[in-house]
Amino acid sequence: MKNTLYNIGYFLKEARTIILLNPLSNAFSLLSAVLIFFILAIVISGWCISNQVVAAIQEEAEINVYFKGDPGNIDAIKLTEGIKGIAGVREARLVGEDEAYGRMEKILGKESRVLEFFNENPFSPFIEVNINIEGMEHIIKELSRMEGIEHVRDNREVLERLWGISEALEILGYLILIAVGITTIVIIAHIIRMGIYDNREQINTLRLMGAPEIFIAFPYLLEGLIITLAGSVIASALVVSALKYLYTQIGPLPFIPLPPRESLTVNLIALIMSLGAVLGISGSFFGISSAKRG
Amino acid sequence: MIKSSRVCLKYPEGTIALKNIDLRIEPGELVYITGPSGSGKTSLLKLFMGDEYPTAGVLEVLKQPIVRGQAAGIRKLRRLIGPVFQEFRLIKGRTAMENVMLGMRFLDVPNGSMKENAGNALAKVGLAQKAFSLIEHMSWGECQRVAIARAIARKPALIIADEPTGNLDKDNAVRILELLKSFKDRETTVIVTTHATHLIRDEKDFRHIHMNNGNMEWERLG
Repeated sequence: MKNTLYNIGYFLKEARTIILLNPLSNAFSLLSAVLIFFILAIVISGWCISNQVVAAIQEEAEINVYFKGDPGNIDAIKLTEGIKGIAGVREARLVGEDEAYGRMEKILGKESRVLEFFNENPFSPFIEVNINIEGMEHIIKELSRMEGIEHVRDNREVLERLWGISEALEILGYLILIAVGITTIVIIAHIIRMGIYDNREQINTLRLMGAPEIFIAFPYLLEGLIITLAGSVIASALVVSALKYLYTQIGPLPFIPLPPRESLTVNLIALIMSLGAVLGISGSFFGISSAKRG
Repeated sequence: MIKSSRVCLKYPEGTIALKNIDLRIEPGELVYITGPSGSGKTSLLKLFMGDEYPTAGVLEVLKQPIVRGQAAGIRKLRRLIGPVFQEFRLIKGRTAMENVMLGMRFLDVPNGSMKENAGNALAKVGLAQKAFSLIEHMSWGECQRVAIARAIARKPALIIADEPTGNLDKDNAVRILELLKSFKDRETTVIVTTHATHLIRDEKDFRHIHMNNGNMEWERLG
């Protein structure tokens, strides 16, 4: 430890010398690291957004219950109270015709002019039931037993499709994470092996003078770390620009609640940087140990 | 300091480099090992540094047995030795000062003392003014002196110099031998291999071992 502190300047200088010994190979390794981390960040962004969408939709999971004929006010309130008693129902609320019209006007915004083509309010009153998504099957079964209900509109198909996309993205994310890990480790291990090969005489001299293996290996560890951290920094800068561009282009979407750009960016940078550090050190270790065996 | 009993060294491809070497070198001795090329001089030094292991016999250097499976012990032993290699093994692209300091970097010497020791060592070999010259800009003789400075800056118990006079003209060779001799004291042993037998003919207070074909052919005290 004392040695490491005394020699930190030396180790950094050595790492720089080793990198400059193979400038082209190291530049390509850096470029590969940048691209790999950038692709990873983009996939993870997609993953985060889809998770956010699914979570938001889950929270908002609701089914609409439509009445058979025109229920009187008292019957509608009774039915609403009955629905509230079903396990898994978070909230049940009666939405009148006027409120339904007003909501659609709000959703359509400028396009709400289309509603003016109707002579009468085309919407019927209904009960808006906010539910726990896991209890959907049970709730629908219970509703089918109740009197005065014509039909129940659930958004199960949409939710299931979103779940599917989210799961596929999650699997893709994991696969890309594994691919990124393996590729980065292979690239770094290879570049470290090259550095060790180019400096084999110096390494042998140090060994003959009694240098500990960790002293000899430290500049190579730094080399791997510097390449991946530099790659992470550049990839982070690219990700910041890409997300800024995407968010500006897409703008706020009424149906898809995007995660806040700032927190997404900060989390991605933290992930890329820590991944860069871990993979850089792991790659260096693999390179050093394989060079020792070879 | 060094005790060897019936030490043999046979390389994996079958070459027998050393045969039954019996030797005892005491602290503070100056030992010249001479002999023709391939006589086993360098192989003997490699054994002393733990770079090779005896294939038979017993060898102990500074109380460390030279046997396989003692990597940590051999590493510690090497830290007590100041080696001057045949081809210097100096690091190109670095200054004389950096090369000398490199030999001390893992010896728990603080940076300030490391610089001071390196500067003193370079001054002792007469290269104080070239401390910040790059190795590739130095002559053969200067490189040899940097290699010696690197060895002595470590304040070793044993200095081992392999053919330090090789490729040097007579004047420079004499200067290098004089320099190495000057580091011998009560605690520091100096072992030098050389072809230049004529240069040590008139020496005093030394031991001369002559090797031939892997054997210690004769030994005399000067």
